[in-house]
Amino acid sequence: MREETVELPELPSLSKLYVTAAAEAARLLISRRDGGRRLPDARHHVAVVRPDLARLTAYQHLLGEPARDVVPAGYLHALAFPVAMSVMAREDFPLPLLGMVHLRNRVEYRDPVAYDDALDITAWAENLAAHRAGTQVEVVAEIAGGGGPVWRGVSSYLAKGAFLPGIDKPGANGAGAQREEFRPPLPTALWRLGVDIGREYAGVSGDFNPIHLSVLSARALGLKRSIAHGMYTASRALAEVGAQKGDSFVWDVSFEAPVFLPAMVSVNIADAVDADGAWERSDFVGWNATAGRRHFVGSVARLS
Amino acid sequence: MAADKYTQFVSRGWGRDLAKRLGLPQPVELRRHVPDAPLVPGPVLLVGTGEGADAVETALKGWDVEVRRDAGTGRAVPSAAQTAAHDGGKAPSSSGPPERRERLGAIVLALDGIGAPEGLSAPFLAAGAALRSLAPGGRVVTLSRRSSTADEPAVAAARSSVEGALRSLARELRSGATGNGILLAEGVPADAPSALGALRFLLSGRSAFVDGQFLTVGTAKGEVPADPERPLAGKVAVVTGAARGIGAEIARTLARDGAKVVAVDVPAAGDALAKVANDVRGTALQLDITTPDAGERILDHALHRHGGLDIVVHNAGITRDKLLANMDAARWDAVIAVNIAAQLRINEALLASDRFRDGARIVSVASTSGIAGNRGQTNYAASKAGVMGMVRSTAARLAATGGTVNAVAPGFIETDMTARIPFAMREVGRRINSLQQGGQPVDVAEAIAFLASDAAGGISGNVLRVCGQYWMGQ
Amino acid sequence: MPITQPAPVRKAVVVGGNRIPFARANGAYTETSNLDMLTAALDGLVARFGLADERIGEVAAGAVLKHSRDFNLTREAVLGSALSPETPAYDVQQACATGLETVLSLSDKIKLGRIDSAIAGGVDTTSDAPIVVSEGLRRAVLELSRAKTVQQKLKALSRIRPKDLTPVAPGTAEPRTGLSMGEHQALTTKQWGITREAQDELALASHRNLAAAYERGFFDDLLTPYRGLTRDQNLRPDTTPERMASLKPVFGRHLGAEASMTAGNSTPLTDGASAVLLASEDWAAERDLPVLAEIVDGEAAAVDFVHGKDGLLMAPVFAVPRMLARLGLTLEDFDYFEIHEAFAGTVLAALAAWEDEDFCRERLGLDGAFGKVDRAKLNVNGSSLAAGHPFAATGGRIAATLAKQLHERTRAGDLGRPARGLVSVCAAGGMGVVAVLEGR
Repeated sequence: MREETVELPELPSLSKLYVTAAAEAARLLISRRDGGRRLPDARHHVAVVRPDLARLTAYQHLLGEPARDVVPAGYLHALAFPVAMSVMAREDFPLPLLGMVHLRNRVEYRDPVAYDDALDITAWAENLAAHRAGTQVEVVAEIAGGGGPVWRGVSSYLAKGAFLPGIDKPGANGAGAQREEFRPPLPTALWRLGVDIGREYAGVSGDFNPIHLSVLSARALGLKRSIAHGMYTASRALAEVGAQKGDSFVWDVSFEAPVFLPAMVSVNIADAVDADGAWERSDFVGWNATAGRRHFVGSVARLS
Repeated sequence: MAADKYTQFVSRGWGRDLAKRLGLPQPVELRRHVPDAPLVPGPVLLVGTGEGADAVETALKGWDVEVRRDAGTGRAVPSAAQTAAHDGGKAPSSSGPPERRERLGAIVLALDGIGAPEGLSAPFLAAGAALRSLAPGGRVVTLSRRSSTADEPAVAAARSSVEGALRSLARELRSGATGNGILLAEGVPADAPSALGALRFLLSGRSAFVDGQFLTVGTAKGEVPADPERPLAGKVAVVTGAARGIGAEIARTLARDGAKVVAVDVPAAGDALAKVANDVRGTALQLDITTPDAGERILDHALHRHGGLDIVVHNAGITRDKLLANMDAARWDAVIAVNIAAQLRINEALLASDRFRDGARIVSVASTSGIAGNRGQTNYAASKAGVMGMVRSTAARLAATGGTVNAVAPGFIETDMTARIPFAMREVGRRINSLQQGGQPVDVAEAIAFLASDAAGGISGNVLRVCGQYWMGQ
Repeated sequence: MPITQPAPVRKAVVVGGNRIPFARANGAYTETSNLDMLTAALDGLVARFGLADERIGEVAAGAVLKHSRDFNLTREAVLGSALSPETPAYDVQQACATGLETVLSLSDKIKLGRIDSAIAGGVDTTSDAPIVVSEGLRRAVLELSRAKTVQQKLKALSRIRPKDLTPVAPGTAEPRTGLSMGEHQALTTKQWGITREAQDELALASHRNLAAAYERGFFDDLLTPYRGLTRDQNLRPDTTPERMASLKPVFGRHLGAEASMTAGNSTPLTDGASAVLLASEDWAAERDLPVLAEIVDGEAAAVDFVHGKDGLLMAPVFAVPRMLARLGLTLEDFDYFEIHEAFAGTVLAALAAWEDEDFCRERLGLDGAFGKVDRAKLNVNGSSLAAGHPFAATGGRIAATLAKQLHERTRAGDLGRPARGLVSVCAAGGMGVVAVLEGR
């Protein structure tokens, strides 16, 4: 069904991809992108990737994960991200990479990955769909170990203001549905995030998107201040669910109001158990107590 | 405890010469107690004959002291037996080089047999002839009988004459030498334990700042301690106001002499009190002595923690100085409450217990202010004079049970308190005594330790001044 | 042949205690260190019981906020004290339960016959708190120390950024939640519906009880004044309900009108130290030392507070029923309760939980409500709200205070049996340590 598998010799450089994307954005200011109304039928693939132990440890320390030999689900996301990015940076990708908003991220972590496992990473884009604010797309990344797929992540992005012909406007359901008013629960945790957190997460994840790095670089891209990586907040919530989640789970997060840095984020994590008293799922939500706005909401659940 | 700076300066080198030329006071560093040192810094000239002289000679020899007898003719003769060796291997020699005058450690005048004022002439002149031979830190001690209304007038006159003569003699002495006397009550033999105990104390470095004073031996009670270095061994002593100053020194001295010390002070002095108690390997009792049950609590602590109570030293005292014209009730009453009322109440409680009453030793700290008076200290002098009254009355009550109660009246003592007196006043206060210097807290403590000892069992109702023979009062 | 083990279980008793008055942070003890204060507390104890030169079986103490140079804090304090330098010592750290844990673990050693005497204690300073360098500087310096070549050294140095030079003070936030202890308690306080009035009333009682105990001289032989302080600096004997009510909430402000925790009904940061002399009965008798109380039993518990399943400071609620079940006792069997007042809400939430049938059935596994604490028996000589709470020193304060109270009551003889006391101390990390003492 897929027409093409692009073999990448190594993990692509995210900074190069960002530069390409910036150049592409600049080019588009002059001549609008034409033709691309459908997603490329291509899978990008990198073979034999190994996590870097020092970077993994730094990641674990930053996110509050125990420094085990098992690689956290969020780190695998970071590992696969350049491959996913390389798909979105393709010339034939129909949406502009820069300014894309991360709406949702869903991960299935099926089998624990050890830091010295040799991994295969494959990424592709699918499900181009209309959104009330533009067009959204799902980028899927799959990681396979020696025995088959171990991790699968689906990231939903929104290209704001990009409306592609032939894509229907959304109905009353889906991401465009009007959100009910947010009533904050009692916090179970409070995150004090300094402006450094963007740079620090960039350092361990490799995601040097300028909107996270500094006030100046964020302003250059039209934001009033830098914002925390969505995946930082999601990964920290995942870490704080704790050891009860085990090594295999489904991890789902939706991003709402961006976290402008520095920030105080109130967090609630609520655990649910099954009839036997065993852990079933933990729902988490993060919000700004002053503004009453929700930053993210999600869950970690037992893999059924 | 170093002597004050001036005393250090004029004690040696060109400072001494300068002071001499200018006619400045020339205080010297006093001879104080050093463990295992000889009792006196040279042989003792014993003047007089009879029961007292013989008792003294026997005692001195027993203490390894070399004795020169003088019958009272004004010419010293060598003693028959001079074989005792001093510690440190320096064998005394009666046949020293004739060109070098022998330095006497002390002159003892045995005057217990004097029956008329004329009898003083020969012994005092003999002593006078020997005064220039007295070593620095030497001692003159008289042993005589206390005059009383029962005496024949001539006898009473002779006995009283001794006091006047000795006090004047003491004012002549220089170089840290002191003159003191022992008064024997009628019927007390010259070799009574307390007579010999007092003699030993007055000859020793322990009495360094006691000068021009008399100790009265009222009874033949008392015991010579087995170990003169640890006369309080096995005793349990309570010292009030022990956290600092004189009280802390009393605690240290009693402990040095072998006592187990309960250091008492107000709770606010806590940390300092703990340090003192731990230093002396005793216990601390945080207690405001003005609380109604202070006596019971002291007794309770001593009995439960140390299995007994032998000695109580009432040292705690406060000053709230103000001219009487400006005095308020709070100042007056506080001083009375702490300095005398608390002692009365505590004694009452302690003496009600048969665990303390028999053989009790109580020593109170009075003050020369209570004797001579002091401007701005009506309240303080009242309290300290009150202490002396209490001592005399209590002594009579204790006589039956073998207990004693005495007071020590310090003069100018170098403490944190006197260090705060303005310089000029402090200098005057220091110099207006025969020793031309302030005393050290240990000097007060030594007197108290002596009065608390078994050797002082025949001494009760005394007020012993530790003042270097202050110019005012007796 | 197997080794024959010595001595069966025997009794461990409290001989007495000593502490220095507790000072408010940056108050009377600003310039003194943990070592200074612990040594002062030990020396006061030594002086009270004449223990100079005594070789004590073992001394255990600790500090929650401890400088790395104080790695052997308790041993150093022993060496600086009048105790025999041949007295061994070790440090304990169990957050605010440190003090009580030292009492329990040392009394266990006495009970087993391993030692005959012990001093338990604790100390804390928030005025002289350890300050650490930033993580960036720390890593750079570590890298520098590993560097061999000049280039490596320069590279390590080049990692240091100006902001790395800012020192870092310890926070009171729970590491896993980022919420301060007060914020955690604010949630528990709200969850149990504890009112502002009830909290203020408890705080007021703490001040009044502590002041009354000072007035009647109760602390004269439990406390050694230090650095000019003769009473706990936080004590406000004349505080009024009106003044309490006028204070603004400091914790749980996100709760809006429901915020009820003020500086008055929360313990302030405090400096201080305490020590308790423990012994076998024989050891005390040989030295004619008093015996105030017996350490009967103890229990530690912890709760899963991280996602709010239980309140951070609610562990004692679980520990007490477990311990009393073992002893066959109920709350009605006690004459005194010493429940550490981390916050007024902590105490009140614990009492509410024990009276809550559903909670006791579901969470404590009991048939119904655990029981009611008679408020007239609670913290009768004041507690942390009035005295202050130098974290690790609180256990020693409570153990000695309760032991003396039990002794006095037992001696009064009106109960017809020894007086019984229950101690409960909550701690950071969702922990709690509780104990039972019986008077002699």
